[in-house]
Amino acid sequence: CRQPVIIAEISLDNPSRGPHFTGCRSREQETFRCWWSTGIFQNLTQPGALRVFYQTKNTLEWQECPDYTPTVQNECYFNKTFTHIWTSYCMQLRSVPQNITYDEHCFTVENIVHPDPPIGLNWTLLNVSRSGLHFDVLVRWAAPPSADVQMGWMSLVYQVQYRVRNTSHWESLELESGTQQSIYGLHTDKEYEVWVRCKMSAFDNFGEFSDSIIVHVAQIPSKESTFPTTLVLVFGVVGVVILLILLVFSQQQRLMVIFLPPIPAPKIKGIDSELLKNGKLDQLNSLLSSQEMYKPGSYHEDPWVEFIQLDLDDPAEKNESSDTQHLLGLSRSGSSHVIHFKSDDDSGRASCYDPEIPEDMLTASLLPGNSGRGDQHPLVSRSSSSTPSLTALQTSEGAETPIKPTTPSWANMDFYAQVSDFTPAGEVVLSPGQLNSPPEKKKEDDKKIKDDVKIQFQLLSDGAYTSENTARQLAADVPSNPGPNQGYQTFPPQAVEGNHGWNVEYLAPVDVSQMPYLLPVAPPASILPPVSDYTVVQEVDGQRSLLLNPSTPQTSVCTHSPNKQLPAMPNMPMGYLTPDLLGTLTP
Amino acid sequence: MPSLNMTALLVALLCLDPHGRVGSAPICMHGPTACHVPSLADLFDRVIQHSARMHSLSNDLHSEFEQYFLPSKNHIGKIYRKCHTSNILTPNGKENAQKLAREELTEVILKLLMAWRDPLFQLHESMAHQQDFNSFSSNKALKMGDMVHELRKGVEKIAEKMRVLGMLGNSIPALSSREAMLPVSESEEAMSDYELLYCFRRDSNKVQNYLKILKCRIIPEHDC
Repeated sequence: CRQPVIIAEISLDNPSRGPHFTGCRSREQETFRCWWSTGIFQNLTQPGALRVFYQTKNTLEWQECPDYTPTVQNECYFNKTFTHIWTSYCMQLRSVPQNITYDEHCFTVENIVHPDPPIGLNWTLLNVSRSGLHFDVLVRWAAPPSADVQMGWMSLVYQVQYRVRNTSHWESLELESGTQQSIYGLHTDKEYEVWVRCKMSAFDNFGEFSDSIIVHVAQIPSKESTFPTTLVLVFGVVGVVILLILLVFSQQQRLMVIFLPPIPAPKIKGIDSELLKNGKLDQLNSLLSSQEMYKPGSYHEDPWVEFIQLDLDDPAEKNESSDTQHLLGLSRSGSSHVIHFKSDDDSGRASCYDPEIPEDMLTASLLPGNSGRGDQHPLVSRSSSSTPSLTALQTSEGAETPIKPTTPSWANMDFYAQVSDFTPAGEVVLSPGQLNSPPEKKKEDDKKIKDDVKIQFQLLSDGAYTSENTARQLAADVPSNPGPNQGYQTFPPQAVEGNHGWNVEYLAPVDVSQMPYLLPVAPPASILPPVSDYTVVQEVDGQRSLLLNPSTPQTSVCTHSPNKQLPAMPNMPMGYLTPDLLGTLTP
Repeated sequence: MPSLNMTALLVALLCLDPHGRVGSAPICMHGPTACHVPSLADLFDRVIQHSARMHSLSNDLHSEFEQYFLPSKNHIGKIYRKCHTSNILTPNGKENAQKLAREELTEVILKLLMAWRDPLFQLHESMAHQQDFNSFSSNKALKMGDMVHELRKGVEKIAEKMRVLGMLGNSIPALSSREAMLPVSESEEAMSDYELLYCFRRDSNKVQNYLKILKCRIIPEHDC
């Protein structure tokens, strides 16, 4: 029977204090004991100096301790007779001779019950884990014999604790009302220490721990070692990783294509890029030539190169509306000898007349040697005698006798026509194909006629380009020819040669340098002999002015004999002087 | 008549639910033979479990009260408080209880249980109105009142059964007259909540132990 030496139940005792109760305990709720200490008072150590008196609610007077334990010092024992459960007790520690009450302690018995520790603690092995590292045990014990649990006078609950041997931390399990409990998860090859204690249910005072027992299970060396399994697993994982790396490196290109698709390169339609890299030159040439854009001779789609192509084949077609009429928006009623312009590959054919062309067609002297005066100009539509005069831009209804009233004078002119005069109103007068009688030229114009304004010029290039200065200069040089009902001044008919029907007027030659355009000019201050509408630049003087060759008009201009002064002129469009040819002209 | 009384008793016993649940026990319509009739031992076990639970609840509530409201202990004035059930003579020890007659023991139990019906109701009301207690504590007080009520009913049933079985020689006055059993409080001053809790904790422990002793005496078991 263990007796606690110091019972720290009520409060922490101050060692320097005097005599005091150290605690009272009951083990089975039937008896109880009280202990006290003398403290620092050494003169009270002899027995009998201190006496314990108690008082219960039932007995109002103080009674002395019924039994001072003889074997134990400073202990008062209350047997069953003096123990009243559910009764309040008050103890007093007195020194009778001095009549001093040193300490007082009150309680009820059921609150000081500390059951005895359970007995018969033992353990049995439940199972061992498959790895052999853990095991479970079942711990059993018995109730303390002092506690009357059969009748139920004390209802006990137990608490099991265990720890690894020689360590300081105890693991506590939950309260158990039975007398057995399982402990799970113990490690083999470790020694465990297990003990148990109890307390009354619904009360807070635990008893002392029982004697501890040692739980130990030796580790059984398993036949199936886990080491190779782990090793195999590790090697397997490493091998898989190596395989993946090798796969990635071997299929690097394909993976790059999959994950990083290349940007498509620009392609030429119809041309394989590989052929461009590796093909031979012939193949490339054939390939490129098949492309439309690289065709050397095809200038159809090229808007920058315009070639005036003359079609002199079919006279029957000339009866149709010319392009000029279409251009001018007028309808013509029959005009023969209209040269149509067709797109023709042979762009250089314009300088030659087709033999089918009637004689009364004007021809221009394009080539050197041809004065072009009065010649028929192939680009200019020649008008027959029946054709109305084309000198007047403005048509007058009445004055036109042989002129068809509805047809303007220049209606039957083709696309290119020579601008012969400028009306004061600023309109362009195109020269007709034939020179008609002056009366034919007479036009009743409603517009203002200024006698001093006579602008006569002869545009010898395509279109009617001239500068205003040039027009004035030309007007100054041209003698006025007051003519009734003449808004323009024309040269005397006698200047016109031939019956070509051309009222050829010419421009006063001016310095070329003053003109932005190349115009074939005649020598100034002189009545120039009638020249054809288009004149070939014959020579360039020292002042870099172009000189026209006022040679006699020739009927045939289809002379390809080169001028002695000028180099051979290849087939070229009428009136064009390409820059490279200009360079060949020498003053 | 015994069969009718037995039937009535069995119906009443079947309605007894020591855990406070209502209407969980089936009603035997076809007589005692058709249903499983709990034995007296089972009834005692139920009642004892119920009383243990009641005492545990009172202990918890008392500990909470003591922890938060009363700093000091073991004061004489505190210990010597008067409970309203102090005038009920109760055995103060195991031997004394064992020496007591069955009828007296049963009567003591019933007296105690009856004495606590109203005070516990007052305690619950008092705790519910005070803001110092949380709802959990006031619910415990309410539950204690219900448990006392149920426990009293169960003990009455047991007593009735014992009387029917002839175990009880004399009639129990507690069963007959209810009015005389109400304790008369000697002091007019109202008891505080802590005093009520302290007293009830003690009395619930008494009831639990008395029931165990009674069972051991009524139903002979080993080492009892």
